[in-house]
Amino acid sequence: MDGFLAVIWIVRLLFLALLYLFLARVVRSLLRDLRAAAREPSSSLGRLIVLDSPSGEPPQGRSFDLDAITTLGRDVNNAIVIEDPFASAEHAVLTYRGQSWYVEDLGSTNGTYVNGGPVADLSPLGYGDEVAIGQVRLRLERARPA
Amino acid sequence: MSVSPRAASAPTLPRILGPIHPRPRWTEARLLGIVAVALIVGSLSLGMTLAHRFAPYDAGGLAIYLAALGGAHVAQVLAGRRSDQILLPAVGLLGGISLLLMQRLPQDLVTLKVGGSTIGLGDIQLAWLCLAIAVATTLGIVVRSDTWLRRYKYTWAAVGIALLLLTFVLGVDVGGQRLTLRIGPVSGQPSELLKVILVVFLAGYLSENRPLLIEQDTRLGPLRLPPLPYLAPMVAMWAIALGIVVVQRDLGAALLFYAVFLALLYAATGRLSLVLIGLVLFVLGSALMASLFDHVRARIDIWIDPFADPLGTGYQIVQSLHAFARGGLLGVGLGAGLPMVGGRLPIPEIHTDFPLAALGEELGLVGVIAILGVYLVVVERGLRIGASAADDFRSILATGLALVIGVQAVIIAAGDLKVLPLTGVTLPFISYGGSSLLANAVVVGLLLALSDKGVEPPPPPTAGGWRSRLRRRPR
Repeated sequence: MDGFLAVIWIVRLLFLALLYLFLARVVRSLLRDLRAAAREPSSSLGRLIVLDSPSGEPPQGRSFDLDAITTLGRDVNNAIVIEDPFASAEHAVLTYRGQSWYVEDLGSTNGTYVNGGPVADLSPLGYGDEVAIGQVRLRLERARPA
Repeated sequence: MSVSPRAASAPTLPRILGPIHPRPRWTEARLLGIVAVALIVGSLSLGMTLAHRFAPYDAGGLAIYLAALGGAHVAQVLAGRRSDQILLPAVGLLGGISLLLMQRLPQDLVTLKVGGSTIGLGDIQLAWLCLAIAVATTLGIVVRSDTWLRRYKYTWAAVGIALLLLTFVLGVDVGGQRLTLRIGPVSGQPSELLKVILVVFLAGYLSENRPLLIEQDTRLGPLRLPPLPYLAPMVAMWAIALGIVVVQRDLGAALLFYAVFLALLYAATGRLSLVLIGLVLFVLGSALMASLFDHVRARIDIWIDPFADPLGTGYQIVQSLHAFARGGLLGVGLGAGLPMVGGRLPIPEIHTDFPLAALGEELGLVGVIAILGVYLVVVERGLRIGASAADDFRSILATGLALVIGVQAVIIAAGDLKVLPLTGVTLPFISYGGSSLLANAVVVGLLLALSDKGVEPPPPPTAGGWRSRLRRRPR
């Protein structure tokens, strides 16, 4: 019977050990996942995806990493150049202010639209929102969908 | 579904489900392997202690459970979704521990007559576990778009409030708490489902109104607050939590809902002032409840000194503390704990409210810490899915779903350990009970669906909403 008791002890400890083996393996893959996410440079605060661009500049499907202040317009000095007949030279600016993104129309001729509605002056922008400048449509997304 | 060139080479497969592109999930397979070995060893330990044979305790039941887990894995491989590979093994381990525990408790705690035969606690729990795995896997595979959740948030809120009112009015009192809703042969605890609906609604509301909640144009002393109308949901949430305490006498659900609400509010806005106001409201509400209602005060008295009446009101807590103490560091071994005292269980409601005490006795501190670690892993996965989600709605939804499980586990674990007043919530994935298992399965299924990298991009937001309201305000 002593042998049987010893086996029970071994099996009990083995069960506990296996629980920790499971945890160790999980933690290993979690760490790998987090390290991979950390390696990718994500200095930007968000991305702007080009959904629709009839003129090809910016190219459709292109993703721009955004700085805290990103200007958009037809002029070549803009961070994102929008080659569209309905875009003004200095059309709009995206700014990240503390907690949230904002889009501001810089007095453009044809206006800036968020989700189909015109931007009066300054409008907060959430991730997933669509900005339209002329015929170009862009969507604001999080920096890294890992 | 897009037609791919590979579809042409496999014309025999049924096209209802679309072309099948299997995608291996090695991490999940490896982890499930460890889970299977651990559960078999656990069952062996149980069998040796209870039946004195070197054989698993209930090999049939365990085999069915492991087959269900394997089936869930194969289904996800065949579906070819790139969803999270750690959630299923982690939850599967918790469910397996639950199965071992329920097989080992007296089977006549819960019985159900099916045809001529009577099935006991372990078999009923096994059936619920298999159903839960099926629900989670199906949701994880089938849900490809979240439009049905984000578009109809007020509909979901209405459904939730209707469920709550239905329970208030038609609920059946069980043990002084009005939690159970019985409609014909079907009975369940709506508060378990309610927590999922709450998170869906909050995700919709907070992601839509986030820019407004961040604004700070109302000043209240040193606090800077968002425009006052947008604080209304906070007050409503507070009132609902108080209503649950008063009418349902369900302190646990109220605490869970309110804690998750505050955590999501902070996650969405990053404003500590809102959380502070919420905490002040919580303290005021708690003080009010404790001074007005005997059942709340009784809970707090028991919590402060269960040994004042160790054979009466404090009995459960005292026995639970004794169980943890008997367990010590390594535990007494699966199946060796809980001797029947005078023909009755030492801890009433051990299968719903105190499974952690039973596990603490049989697996010891080491085992309990491992189990809490698995909960931590589930929460981490949820938060990670939220952090890498494409937009605010999905982000808040995943965070909220993870927190619902984590906060609930903390509330009941702390209750068992006399860290918090004992409240009657279930330990997710381990407690006995269909409502609890199915609601948590829905949570896991949604997290799996949200974690998929190939999921549909978020739908373009509609014009109007907060933006039109914002534009009307002078700037």
